Amino acid sequence: MKSQHTIQALVQNEAGTLNRLVSLFRRRGFNLASLNAGDCEVEGFSRVTLVVNGDDEVLQQCVGQLQKLIDVVSVDDLPFTASVMRELALIHLTGVANNRREILDLLAVADGKIVHFGLDSLTVEVSGDAKSIDRFIAMLGPYHVTEVVRTGVVGLRTENRIPSELASPTFAATSA
Amino acid sequence: MNMEKRTGSQVVMEALARHGVDTIFGYPGGVILPLYDEMLKWPQIDHILVRHEQCAAHMADGYARATGKVGVCLGTSGPGATNLVTGIATAIMDSVPMLVLTGQVNSWAIGKDAFQEVDIQGITIPITKHNYLVTNVDDLPYVMAEAFYLANTGRKGPVHVDIPKDVFQALTDAPFPETVHRRGYTIPGAAPLTDIERAAEMLNQAERPIAIAGAGVIWSETAPFIRQLAEKADLPIINSLLGLGAIDRQDPRSLGMMGMHGEAAATIAVQEADLVIGIGNRFDDRLTGKTSGFAPKAEIIHFDIDPTEFGKCVRTMHVVPGDLTHNLPAFVEAVKPAKRKTWWGEIRQWQAEYPLVVPEDGRFLARHVMKGLNECTGGNAIVSTDVGQHQMWAAQFYQFKRPYQWLSSGGLGTMGFGFPAAMGAKFACPDQEVWAIVGDGGFQMTLQELQTAFECKLDVNIALINNGYLGMIRQWQELFYDDRQSHSSMGNPDYAKLAEAYGVHFVRCDNAADLPAAVEAARTTKGPSLVEFVVAMEENVYPMVAAGASNDNLIMDPALARSDAESLMGAQP
Repeated sequence: MKSQHTIQALVQNEAGTLNRLVSLFRRRGFNLASLNAGDCEVEGFSRVTLVVNGDDEVLQQCVGQLQKLIDVVSVDDLPFTASVMRELALIHLTGVANNRREILDLLAVADGKIVHFGLDSLTVEVSGDAKSIDRFIAMLGPYHVTEVVRTGVVGLRTENRIPSELASPTFAATSA
Repeated sequence: MNMEKRTGSQVVMEALARHGVDTIFGYPGGVILPLYDEMLKWPQIDHILVRHEQCAAHMADGYARATGKVGVCLGTSGPGATNLVTGIATAIMDSVPMLVLTGQVNSWAIGKDAFQEVDIQGITIPITKHNYLVTNVDDLPYVMAEAFYLANTGRKGPVHVDIPKDVFQALTDAPFPETVHRRGYTIPGAAPLTDIERAAEMLNQAERPIAIAGAGVIWSETAPFIRQLAEKADLPIINSLLGLGAIDRQDPRSLGMMGMHGEAAATIAVQEADLVIGIGNRFDDRLTGKTSGFAPKAEIIHFDIDPTEFGKCVRTMHVVPGDLTHNLPAFVEAVKPAKRKTWWGEIRQWQAEYPLVVPEDGRFLARHVMKGLNECTGGNAIVSTDVGQHQMWAAQFYQFKRPYQWLSSGGLGTMGFGFPAAMGAKFACPDQEVWAIVGDGGFQMTLQELQTAFECKLDVNIALINNGYLGMIRQWQELFYDDRQSHSSMGNPDYAKLAEAYGVHFVRCDNAADLPAAVEAARTTKGPSLVEFVVAMEENVYPMVAAGASNDNLIMDPALARSDAESLMGAQP
């Protein structure tokens, strides 16, 4: 079945780690919709959230091949129903002099905020799951959107959490 | 722990010595000079000076395939490093444990397009199990230890360490680690007993079961359990190309290789089986043919150390993950003794109907050479090959007895592999007879190593199958391109003069009657021997399954239909 999965990988930061991840996707022909990497709770490690398009077989290969990378510590296929997924978008609009009020209303509905304003422009910030950001951008259709920047999804499992590798008290010591 | 300060170069040599490395294969260059200078102080480690870095990698590969130990090769930065790439890719495709060391430009010059700089770490990411660029000498002892550990544990593979010149020269007192531990890297152990029991139950219930033993059996050194399994469950054993040697070909339950050019009886048996047990193999496309037509009547069980192999190519009913060292003995224990008279009756019938043949039509064929080499060496030699027709004939006709005897580039299909791989094997196993079986195409890719063999007085034998063609290419052109021979015909140098120039013993043989004497001369001559077998130019490998076709569509040897098929080989009923 075609679907989209959000995978979280815990990786050890080394020269070439991100290169290795991306190279794997290209080489095996996995379809990567978004990738987000950032620091996590332990120095020297990162959490990477990957959104992958593909059926269950593709996903199984993808998780397995990621797990095989030496600098990948663990991989979790985040269950949609037991995780939070968030993405942040910055949107620049121009020609807003006559419809600021309407845009502010939409922004209130989407729980967004203005992060910069000019005489005839606005830069707004919204966050949420990818679908709600899609919807918000669609709602801006009548206005003059000049640029959209999105971070890609970050996800975190909320239920049935497997104790994190990093939670072990000895971990930071031994991995230093 | 207080350690005396030593240079990065010392750390590298000490690491090699600590891991019992006796031979390394390489070529010097600017940025790796500090290591080459240090090498002079380590007489216990032989450095073999090759004539092209690709061959250093193939020699390290051959060394590993003949012993199960990590092969080590090295080269300088830039072109030295890129020349190693084909050898690294060859090794990863066949899961060969290898350590590749390269010099890199000074760490402060990286990224400046310095002389002989290339991003070799970036280049080898997709063709290594893991790789490193070591920019701090204090990391080097751990990296070297981890590189050996990763290369030779779990599913084996090449590991590459790139070391800048200044890191070779820098001083460190960092100790070697007592143990290596890497978060998220666990060496697979035994499968849950229930997995073994279910597999055993499926085998007990099956009426027409068959097993395919792959190279995983070789690397895990579990071949004795394949024999026990075959005996206890009366189970026919097939080999993948690289699984040859996992069971003695003379064992009555060995059916030989299956697949594109496998033995017909083996390929047919899998199509007719009700249970196929893959053991340490990866269901490569040359073995399965079109996957939707593979083993259509069978349920498939798959034993493998790498879980990503499960379901990658064929749908499996049941999987047994983990190390065969644990899982195979447990499986043998769990299966019930059986006799499968009916099933064997059918298999013997196919074997009788479609044997491998050497047509006696007056021509001197490459098949005569394979059969003759097998007879003259008693099936005991270590045999390496290049890729193509001669490789398939060697796989078909040489009666491999044991693991680590067959060195062939199965996955990548690297021409030019056979000769240097044989050299690596001979360096590793000086007491064993070693033959490189090569075609005239592949041999011309790496024959400069004749000089290396001569200098080292290496007692390696080369069977050069000279048909003046890239034979497999010509065969495909004949069968699939209306015999339009686009660039498959190829001239050859005068090999007698070539051998003389390199100081290598030479015999030319162009008929079957002279073959035993030619082979014997090579065997008894100390130092390298080149035997040129001038064979029929146009000879095809059969049986054959066309690429992309189902294994049901076997093209049989036309000679089977003729009366000249006198000389039969292969497992006889």
